[in-house]
Amino acid sequence: MADTQWPRFMVFERDQPDHPWKHNGSVHAPDLEMALLNARDVFSRRPEQAGMFVVPMAAILTQTREQLAENPLVVKKLQEGQASSASSSLPYMIFAKTFEQGPCEYVAEISAESPEAALAVAIATTAVKNPLWWWAFAASTVLASDAADAESMFAPARKKSYKSSNEYPVVTMMRQIRAKGKLED
Amino acid sequence: MASPIADYLLALADDELILGHRASEWCGHAPILEEDIAFANLALDEIGHARLWLELAAKEMGEDPAKYPDQQVYFRAPDDFRNSQLVELPNGDWAFTMLRQYMFDAFETQRLDALSAVNHSGMAEVAASIRNEELYHLRHTQAWVRRLALGTEESAARSQAALNALWPYAQQLAQPLPGESQDVPSSSDIFDAWRNMVVPFIEERVLIIPEVSGFIGDRTQHSDHLAPMIADMQEVARVEPEAIW
Amino acid sequence: MYGADVEQVAIELNEDPQKLADFEARIARGEKIEPGDWMPAEYRRQLIRMISQHAHSEVVGMLPEGAWITRAPNLRRKLILLAKVQDEAGHGQYLYHAAETLGATREEMLDALLTGKAKYSSIFNYPTLNWTDIGTIGWLVDGAAILNQTMLARCSYGPYSRAMVRICMEENFHKKQGQEMVIRYSQGSARQRQMIQDAITRWWWPTLMMFGPHDADSPNSGVLIRWGIKTRTNDELRQDFINQLVPDLQACGIQLPDPDLRYDEQSGNWQIGEIDWDEFWRVIKGDGPMNAERMAARRKAHDDGLWVREALSAYAEKHSPLN
Repeated sequence: MADTQWPRFMVFERDQPDHPWKHNGSVHAPDLEMALLNARDVFSRRPEQAGMFVVPMAAILTQTREQLAENPLVVKKLQEGQASSASSSLPYMIFAKTFEQGPCEYVAEISAESPEAALAVAIATTAVKNPLWWWAFAASTVLASDAADAESMFAPARKKSYKSSNEYPVVTMMRQIRAKGKLED
Repeated sequence: MASPIADYLLALADDELILGHRASEWCGHAPILEEDIAFANLALDEIGHARLWLELAAKEMGEDPAKYPDQQVYFRAPDDFRNSQLVELPNGDWAFTMLRQYMFDAFETQRLDALSAVNHSGMAEVAASIRNEELYHLRHTQAWVRRLALGTEESAARSQAALNALWPYAQQLAQPLPGESQDVPSSSDIFDAWRNMVVPFIEERVLIIPEVSGFIGDRTQHSDHLAPMIADMQEVARVEPEAIW
Repeated sequence: MYGADVEQVAIELNEDPQKLADFEARIARGEKIEPGDWMPAEYRRQLIRMISQHAHSEVVGMLPEGAWITRAPNLRRKLILLAKVQDEAGHGQYLYHAAETLGATREEMLDALLTGKAKYSSIFNYPTLNWTDIGTIGWLVDGAAILNQTMLARCSYGPYSRAMVRICMEENFHKKQGQEMVIRYSQGSARQRQMIQDAITRWWWPTLMMFGPHDADSPNSGVLIRWGIKTRTNDELRQDFINQLVPDLQACGIQLPDPDLRYDEQSGNWQIGEIDWDEFWRVIKGDGPMNAERMAARRKAHDDGLWVREALSAYAEKHSPLN
């Protein structure tokens, strides 16, 4: 029988309720609800989060800097998208990774007819210039954690101090052994 | 110094410890990688809760809270454990594990609700802090139980078999805990609240609650599964009881 | 071949010379290659091979330590060990994600592991025989892994490099909790000292083998270094590890099982005797003490989980389809 590892979902988080959303990683899950739970379990092993959301991988449009530079067709298509009527527009979330060391972060929410059109608007109108890549996905495809659940989802990691390397005084222990030939208790 | 409150806290700790221990056995063997991580979270929480209850029991007894928890976990005979039999049963398949975890987490949230309101500040405080984690466990296990019960024919059949096996053991949760007094919520009231919570949830997922016959007894009674589990758990600690591990 | 100039390499690999030259120029400038960017097919193939092997190592690596979770001798050690083995699952998860950005699927990667086509680190084919093996794995095996991973954190492929940064941060806890145990037991009772000596004696050589064959015998090293996947050689990393560990272990009063071990004043390096390369290749080829058991455990978890994964897929189809 063929195996299934379930579809993939991208995971986004923020470390304070008023901080921008940023990309974290991905999880496999059978559906959106389980994806959010799996995201919590995989990524909140250490205390960093105040909120999380997941989005199906298949819902994300990606454009890298190289793709935009080397494929004028895509740029043209993006511009066409921008020009079309907004009668059937939906809100899209736009993310970009601007620096190598920085996260892929929230840029804007833009109403448009398609992810391509939303991205074209973002490229033309936002302050983000020439990032490493862009992501666009419909806000309707997202499942986010509820602020009311934040405590039960993200507080438990704070109690597990044994996951921090600061809990282990190995430098002091080695120093004691070298100086005195034994550990002080 | 014997104290009814300490006996009661020890029973709370034993439930958490033994279930956490069972949950930890899945680590590395779960059906998918994400669940290896999720179930380990659950086990870490439960074992952490056991430690909190034991530290509180130490205070009641006038013992050292840094040492007493390990003494109780590693140097008590299996006969002296006061956990319910529900939590000591071997893991079985994933349907059994999840349903047991759901049933216990549901009971825990009811018990902790009641304990958060008791007139004993240490107990109420620990209960409130633990409750948060149990709420997430409940969310996780509910999501799983629902999907397994309504997934494929095989998963539905396994869920029903798990329910048939677990339900009689769950009845033991109505028994009073050792040291249960007027000052703490009654297990039988918590059990009624629990029943009102889980029966509709289970029946809505088209599983059939089995008839229960027979009587499991109080928490001094254990199945054959507890002693080997405790022996395994205590093996290294007892190699050299005086040593610092 | 990978010492040749770019035109020659392009011909050998059947790649567009201009694209290959641009790609190599990006790497030379220290830029990261990102998913979706142009890359030679061989770069993609090497990365998938290496990252999935690394992911498998994390997942199989849960087994030798996982076997001791139920027996951890106090509550603190039990929580630490469980959290550590959980982290390894998490690291496997991050690494599979990095390989997925290159187009590999987790189904394919797991299939390659379970059918024996993919490798994982040979260190996990050795048994954990006493509790102090857990401390030894933390300090030695995780310590060795951190050196390798610190190098890979500078690798030219963005997602792999970022996964490594995160993993190294978490692995510091793994190494230190292990080191704490080794120090403690080396200063403990006669029984504890004997247990830790036994564990270090068994794990010392297999840990040194983790860095891989000598550079001259390492078939993939050339291409990995040319394209910035690896920035240091196996022998360089191994030497760093030896120089770090030997003085500390000796200070703890632990004997290392190498009669030829000596300090070389001239180079400032600790020099070891020759590694048993026959053993190294034997274990890689599947003939280590625990290869069969490790794979049997992974296959059982995978097979026992199939009905579970299918049940949730079926539920999703009926109740919450994505499309």
